[in-house]
Amino acid sequence: MASKHKILIVDDDADFAEAIASFLEANGYQVLQARDGSEGLRIAKAERPDLVLMDVMMRERTEGFFTIQEMRRRPELKDIPVFVLTSIYSQVPGFRITPEASWLAHDAFFAKPVNPAELLEKIRQFLDRPSAKEVNS
Amino acid sequence: MSPANPESLRAASAAEAPAVHSGETIVVIDDDRAIRLSCEKILTKAGYRVECFETGAAGLEAVAKLKPALALVDLKMPGISGMDVISRLREIDPNILTVVITGYATIDTAVEAMKAGAYDFVPKPFSPDELRLIVKRGLDHRRLMLESQQAEMERELLKRRFITFVSHQLQTPLVAIHQYLDVLRHLENPDPAKLREWLDRCLARTEEIQAIIKDWLTISKLEGGLLAQQRVKVDLTEVITEILKTYEVMAASESVTLENQMPPDGCYVIGDRNCLSVLFDNLVTNAIKYNKPGGKVTVSAERTPDEVIVSVADTGIGIPEKYRQMLFGEFFRIQDVKKTPGTGLGLAIAKRVATEMGGSISVESQVNVGSTFRVRLLAWKEPVSETTQGRTNNGLKAQNTDR
Repeated sequence: MASKHKILIVDDDADFAEAIASFLEANGYQVLQARDGSEGLRIAKAERPDLVLMDVMMRERTEGFFTIQEMRRRPELKDIPVFVLTSIYSQVPGFRITPEASWLAHDAFFAKPVNPAELLEKIRQFLDRPSAKEVNS
Repeated sequence: MSPANPESLRAASAAEAPAVHSGETIVVIDDDRAIRLSCEKILTKAGYRVECFETGAAGLEAVAKLKPALALVDLKMPGISGMDVISRLREIDPNILTVVITGYATIDTAVEAMKAGAYDFVPKPFSPDELRLIVKRGLDHRRLMLESQQAEMERELLKRRFITFVSHQLQTPLVAIHQYLDVLRHLENPDPAKLREWLDRCLARTEEIQAIIKDWLTISKLEGGLLAQQRVKVDLTEVITEILKTYEVMAASESVTLENQMPPDGCYVIGDRNCLSVLFDNLVTNAIKYNKPGGKVTVSAERTPDEVIVSVADTGIGIPEKYRQMLFGEFFRIQDVKKTPGTGLGLAIAKRVATEMGGSISVESQVNVGSTFRVRLLAWKEPVSETTQGRTNNGLKAQNTDR
């Protein structure tokens, strides 16, 4: 691997983020963390992560959804894969969050707590396939 | 007619000149044209929206669309009988109030009709005042009925929300613990220092779960009246001094000063010592948590012959006006305060305890200046003499405290 892939975790629970971050670091990724959506956007713009893990039930209920929409609206961020992580499923009145929730433009869906092996496998599917450059060379 | 939309109600009544009533719709079903016309005239003038129908069939057909609050139904009509109309109306909308129009000769039938579900009857011939009175009485009854239905629904919703919220609150720390453990299982050589730190974090999160469960149990016990069994003489100076001592370290770590201005000679109320301790514990911890570095928490008391008013004042972030109503409800937490740990049940518990002890709790607050919570409690009165002993303190028998 020429350079480490960067993964951004946006989650307001420091413990959850710490556990996932350590696991991903142990598996060769560089991990960035943000505690809320606006911090997440700022880091995404500055650091251009290769993938984002987004909690969609942060303190402000709609923050995660809003952040994903904001990313999709910006040309420089819109192609970054976003995995949705949530422990709420359909519990919150007014929101139905399911793996099939197509209105939520995400690339993969995980219920918290996340199975580390499954998460890793999915991340590899997105990041470790040969990039266009490598194919060309 | 939607009772949930007071704006539209106001608009409707404002548009009609005599604006006496809220513009509720009344349906009149009578084959007698004269009755229909007089009902329409009297009730329209009183501010109602009135729709008249000559037959039961026509009336019933229109009811679904008109959603009337009340139906005046003649019992003797060709076609569908008045009795049938009443029972069909109830099927269409159980909240439609039916009033039977009937001649003197058929009072018995009117009684029958009321057994079938009609609310009242208006005997023919009737004066405008009689009709207005009966209609008003019916609609008042209906409003009360709808209000109590609404209250019941809100209670249900609160109960459901309670469960959802507690589940979510429990789930958050559980997810964190689970995630640490599962990741540890997947790491080949976890760093011992990290392992140690993670174990500490897991323990801290289990404590969070315990705090939630403890608060939850306190709330449900208060609800069932299981707590607050004792009504004895309690010295609040002692209770509060003890609490302030417990939180000295926590306050110092937040750079907050605690100031005890309770009367040193004691401050006696009637209540349950444990419950009162829970109440002030919640107020003091809130005052510390929602304070600013360098801030202060002051606890003081005012004594009157009947009451003791304890104030817990902080110099913290304050509570915006819009939140003050919800403050004492379950799970209310100020959203823009990040990272402040808590279960969202503290003030709900404080309020229940205060109420349970025959007192009350209120708050005054200014954003960015601070909040003062005031708890009013019943003052302890020493029994005057042998003969009055046991009758003082609102009939509660004087007991020695368990100290």
